[in-house]
Amino acid sequence: MSALNALAGGVFATSAPEDDDTDLRRLVEELGAWAFDARPRPRSLPEQFDDALWDQLEQTGLSRLTSTPDLEAGPSELAIVLRGLARHAAAVPIAETELAAWLAGRAGQSLPDGPLTVAIADADIDGGRITGTATEVPWARIAHAVVLAARTDKAVHVGVLRGLNVDEHYNVAGEPSGRLTFDILAGDLTQLDPAVGHELVRRGAWTRCVQIVGNLDAAAALAVAHTRHRIQFGRPLNAFQSVQQALAAMAGEIERARAATTLAVAAASDFGFAAHQTDYAVSVAKVVAGQAVPAVCTIAHQLHGAIGVTLEHPLPLFTMRSQSAITDYGSTGWHARRLGRMAFASDKVWDVVVGNDVTGWE
Amino acid sequence: MQAFDALCANEPELAKLRMSVREFLDVDMVEHGWRPSVDSWMSSWDEEFSVRLASAGFLGLTIPRQYGGQGLGHLHRYVVTEELLAAGAPVAAHWIADRQLAPALLAYGSEEQRGQMLPAIAAGRLYSAIGMSEHGAGSDLAGIQTKATLTSGGWILNGTKVWTSGAHLAHTIVVLARSSPADPTNRHTGLSQFLVPRASPGLTISPVPAMSGEHHFNEVDFADVFVPDAAVLGEIGDGWRQATAELSFERSGPERILSTARLITAAISATRSEPPSDERTVGQVGELLARLISLRQLSIMVARALADGRPAANQAALVKDLGTRFEQNSVDAIDELLDGTTLDADMPSMVDTARLHQPMFTLRGGTNEVLRGLVARGMGVR
Repeated sequence: MSALNALAGGVFATSAPEDDDTDLRRLVEELGAWAFDARPRPRSLPEQFDDALWDQLEQTGLSRLTSTPDLEAGPSELAIVLRGLARHAAAVPIAETELAAWLAGRAGQSLPDGPLTVAIADADIDGGRITGTATEVPWARIAHAVVLAARTDKAVHVGVLRGLNVDEHYNVAGEPSGRLTFDILAGDLTQLDPAVGHELVRRGAWTRCVQIVGNLDAAAALAVAHTRHRIQFGRPLNAFQSVQQALAAMAGEIERARAATTLAVAAASDFGFAAHQTDYAVSVAKVVAGQAVPAVCTIAHQLHGAIGVTLEHPLPLFTMRSQSAITDYGSTGWHARRLGRMAFASDKVWDVVVGNDVTGWE
Repeated sequence: MQAFDALCANEPELAKLRMSVREFLDVDMVEHGWRPSVDSWMSSWDEEFSVRLASAGFLGLTIPRQYGGQGLGHLHRYVVTEELLAAGAPVAAHWIADRQLAPALLAYGSEEQRGQMLPAIAAGRLYSAIGMSEHGAGSDLAGIQTKATLTSGGWILNGTKVWTSGAHLAHTIVVLARSSPADPTNRHTGLSQFLVPRASPGLTISPVPAMSGEHHFNEVDFADVFVPDAAVLGEIGDGWRQATAELSFERSGPERILSTARLITAAISATRSEPPSDERTVGQVGELLARLISLRQLSIMVARALADGRPAANQAALVKDLGTRFEQNSVDAIDELLDGTTLDADMPSMVDTARLHQPMFTLRGGTNEVLRGLVARGMGVR
């Protein structure tokens, strides 16, 4: 059951787990640390695509881990890669490429090599044309293709788009994000069941939860190190009880997020992303991430003082990535309302808590 | 075994146990007419219930069969415990004996002590209290003053314990006392544990009524109370280590998350027929449940680690910190959910009990501030 160890790590971990994924974990850690050290300094905005890291990910097979059948990798392995790279703030569309490859595969569409991204939009269908605007398309300009999921009332229309004009800005983490307006012949897209669209959002939320655990682990490590080395009033900051209490509060939220997300990794490993169990566990994990991220980021920044809000300091690479991630693929409130409605629909609320009654989704 | 089921403590054997304890509770509640309550492990004392629970095989789960227990694992006990709490069952009578005395006897007790006490605990007939805190030693437990003085054939206890829950109804009080003078360089040495019968001459119990009017706290005074050598628990001088070694189980257990679980589930069920029309309240319920589910996940991960002998002391302390703060916050959240709804007879009294118990959640068994200090040490900062 490698899912149980998929997110192992954090401030309390004394050693990496020894299991089937030990080599993978080591490889990801090495690549992530190498890429972090090679980051352009001083940092500039927006974040630049790390093509040297991407080359390494392609050579090692990590860039399309779960969509390459020979690798026999599942959600647990993907979680190790996503968390590991997020812990080093890797500037690559690793989650987006996985999502895009899965979606194109569902539509039976072929893909170019290289980094990919995915665009989700509510669309209008009229006169055989599908029109709409996708906002917040990550890494849209450097992606070799954008896989579009255009949602209409009765279906989701999927196609692989290239050479688009993208209006690009960047998110709070400094990561490029595009706005993409489309007007396409319906026949050029593959029409799929709306459930595919729901699963895409679920997979996206899942990847963000896993990445958030990596971001927060890094933020906590920075806070522990900073409060150990920074001397004020003649003592290291961590000699102050108020600082110790804050560090512990931060660790608590992170471990809670790790526990909830581990359940989502286990659900996806056991039952796949289409399953009710995964739907349940991902919504729980996304709400928990949405609770943990603001709490952890507030503490991490408070403990760092002014240096932590500068462009030169690594802390914002992690705090702002996690802040951005909680808004993706369904906000905290959206997932919380789903969970709330499910509880009100159940006549066995306690069974919702223990994971026995997970079928009551609308 | 599937990972999801394992993380939910629902693998086939545990799921079967879960269903069987539920069946027992459903029938027992109807037959014997007890009312579900919040924080039932603290205040719902029902000795007959404890005996029935034991007869049905749901007590002493981790006590070996040779001592009358079920000989099962910690996760079996976990599942039964959380189902009892979720049902608001009256479990207070046997709680401390089953949770603390039995494991302590198994770890440190003499064969004679085990043979005497474990079968009675497993039968739901032996109740226990823990005499640790004193007037001058609360969070700073190592500062206790109760003295154990060596005498012929045993020890003489003198001193006063306080906040000793259930001492007035317990058969045995586990007393932590100073058996040799305090060493200022290591205050944790020179402490010992004694198994003291409530009926011992020189032992006086006075109630300390809680603000709810309930009687669970006591002051326990020891005036030259004789304890024979046979009633020393474990090793003389090893009391601190013995009393703290197994705390991770207690800190990470379901009762640190689920003291208000019955109120939460009942309130959501009570508002089902007229679910809140505003999306904000629906979202708040979702947030509350996500918090609960994540804490339960963390708690189960700790239980599994401890059962496998892997270290999890920091995460265990975190469960108690986060879990008890969740319990507190849940009372306010439920109050808000119930605002404006018509309540059946049980609900207002559960809300009131929860409100009156709310401040205790983050105090009992060690304050959260002390726990967070432990966690900080685990992060390498102390």
